[in-house]
Amino acid sequence: MISGTFNPSMILSILPEISILVLGFLVLFFDLFLSKEHHDKLGWITAGGLGVIIIGCLLVIRPNESVLQTFAFGGMIRYDWMGFTFKMLFLFSAAITAMFAMGMEKIGKRGEFYLLMLASTIGMCLMASAADLIMLYLAIETTSIPLYILAGFITQDEKSTEAGFKYLLFGAMTSAILLYGFSLLYGFTGTTQIYKISNIIQSGGIPTELSFGVLILVIVGFAFKISAVPLHFWAPDVYEGAPTPVAGFLSTASKAAGFSVLLRVLLIAFPEILPYWSAFLVAISTLTMTIGNLLALTQKNIKRMLAYSSIAHAGYALIGLGSITYDSFFGMSSVVFYLIAYVITNLAAFGVVAAFGRVSGSDDIAAYAGLSRRSPALALAMLVAFLSLAGMPPFGGFVVKFIVFAAAVQANLIWLAVVGVLNSIIGLYYYLTVLKVVYLYRSEDEEKPLPIPRSYSLALGVLVTGILLIGIVMAPWLNLSIKSVVSLF
Amino acid sequence: MAFWDYLPIAILFVISAGLAAIAVGLGHLFGPRKPTPKKLEPYESGMNPFGPGTRRMPVRFYLVAVLFILFDIEVVFFLPWAVVLKDLGITGLVEMIVFVSILVVGFIYAWKKGALEWE
Amino acid sequence: MTPLQIIFIIVAVITLFAAIKVVSSRNLVHAALWLILVLFGIAVFFVILSAGFFAAAQVVIYIGAIAILMIFTIMLTRRVARDSGAQHNSNWWAAAVLSLLLFTGLSWILSRWQGFQSTAQPMLESADPLRQLGEGLVAPGGYLIPFEVASILLVAALIGAITVAWERK
Repeated sequence: MISGTFNPSMILSILPEISILVLGFLVLFFDLFLSKEHHDKLGWITAGGLGVIIIGCLLVIRPNESVLQTFAFGGMIRYDWMGFTFKMLFLFSAAITAMFAMGMEKIGKRGEFYLLMLASTIGMCLMASAADLIMLYLAIETTSIPLYILAGFITQDEKSTEAGFKYLLFGAMTSAILLYGFSLLYGFTGTTQIYKISNIIQSGGIPTELSFGVLILVIVGFAFKISAVPLHFWAPDVYEGAPTPVAGFLSTASKAAGFSVLLRVLLIAFPEILPYWSAFLVAISTLTMTIGNLLALTQKNIKRMLAYSSIAHAGYALIGLGSITYDSFFGMSSVVFYLIAYVITNLAAFGVVAAFGRVSGSDDIAAYAGLSRRSPALALAMLVAFLSLAGMPPFGGFVVKFIVFAAAVQANLIWLAVVGVLNSIIGLYYYLTVLKVVYLYRSEDEEKPLPIPRSYSLALGVLVTGILLIGIVMAPWLNLSIKSVVSLF
Repeated sequence: MAFWDYLPIAILFVISAGLAAIAVGLGHLFGPRKPTPKKLEPYESGMNPFGPGTRRMPVRFYLVAVLFILFDIEVVFFLPWAVVLKDLGITGLVEMIVFVSILVVGFIYAWKKGALEWE
Repeated sequence: MTPLQIIFIIVAVITLFAAIKVVSSRNLVHAALWLILVLFGIAVFFVILSAGFFAAAQVVIYIGAIAILMIFTIMLTRRVARDSGAQHNSNWWAAAVLSLLLFTGLSWILSRWQGFQSTAQPMLESADPLRQLGEGLVAPGGYLIPFEVASILLVAALIGAITVAWERK
């Protein structure tokens, strides 16, 4: 018989999720009962509320050893630094996305947009802390379904509708495969608890090829979320069609959520077959980096280019996953660290694209000519974001790329680090091509002003500061990443 | 419950399917058929049929169907909960109230947006 | 073979056949009707597994609501229901090879498991699955959080459906 008593401290372990839910309903009621002219404040309410939640969580429920139980709600939720770090990352990117969405004409004043984004954030938070397959699957669906709608949010725009529909079809398919994997896993082990599966695999005499086969089915579902090759082809179409803030959210928070789940499931449920899956992930990582970067070279549309670049970045992060060894935390922490920097950097990149696109109405790279004269500040933010994506010092992207490659070298995968460096060079080329258009090309639009709303300036300011902070002071971030992965076990 | 407890349901299915087959089959067997073009036209209350037979349905039907699914699922959750409500006590009640109130918020939203209006 | 196994095989064959008809029917309404048969076959599987409540839920939700929704959406489309284009493109053989590989691979993997040789313990007569489900759903040590999250998911889906389908005036 399942029982267990209710303990008020259990509430604290899901405090972020509960507060987001309350915030979401608050936004919904403002949307329904506030007169239309106040609707432009919805974004500020969302972003501000998320900011308050972040501060509150940092103050009240930082997972220090004795305060809370590790497992809550019968082992559905695991409360640890890993989950906490990622939760803060999701809340942060949701707040930033709300600020970007505010300035967009067709989405900024609609409460549904913020509500769906918050629902998706709840799902991501639960993904990061789920310790049970059922919880995990529900969390993944809670993340995905609002995202499908957000991608197709502008129903009058055919491209947006197509993006939403495409995302839905591929998402539903991969999620079915993922669920199949979960159900086989439950069938073989008789438990849905991620933290018990490994013991049963070990003691129950489940052959390696069987657990590896099931693991591949599970990886398919996650590979879609992180858009790793060969499940990457949805990304360019969806990012191009979706509203730019949504594309930014998809490529950062949703991807980080996929990685957080991947880390937990691989390391906790399948440590026995580590050599097999790390070899598999190394192969995927090589493919993902190379294909992502090569295809990015030829893009004319900046959102498509960023989509391919975000595929390539999933490949870099996978280097860290492939470099995990039994005797070192370095590979795992490099993934977490990479994601922190990547989320902040890529949000900035998409923010710049959103700020430019909302005025000019174009996402063509050629349209960026003369941006440095139209708005030096925006061009500067773009420079920082793109150079960080390219992995140039002194920005965050350099430090984390260095750490990830170092992890590969430490795991005796020197060739993988070399492939990574070669790929970074290709990456540098196409990022610089865009910056060349921004800084060196002239255009007749140069005199046209490029107004940037306050929310964009604030968000981009925060992001640029973040990129620089990671690039210059790396110790606290690296410590946080190490603390996170140590707390997994 | 054992599998064979469902036997009556299976018999019921067979009988109802059989009856339907007999009703249609007998008509086919014994009914006289002398088709003329007029007789083959779709029957539209005695008037001459016009326009295509299948019209696009308003999107409202879709919304109603979606609403129906959601509350259908809610009912499915209710049933096992109601069976053990006495043993669960006050916590069980509170948890279900939380569940329902989240759904009610969605319902209020649908109502206020006018998705339930049928002009 | 026990009578139960014979019933299982008959239902499995019918379900598989109906599933093939779902994807091969040119008329979308027919495909939806075949889908109802598939869903009903699944309900019978639940009965065979002594999961009466799930069988009922399958009939109520999938046949009673989701299949109806599908038929509604077919009727929403402009050109009702007839697909006159080609049913497969030039890559069909690649898909066939891939599916065959996947099928053999999965069957091989599954055949490696010893669990198939042992018979499962019959359920205790005293155990009432419905009561256990009810307790599991709301017990704080059970599936309370997934249960509450399900309602969030439902609300998000509701709002999403209205956002997508509701024409704004």
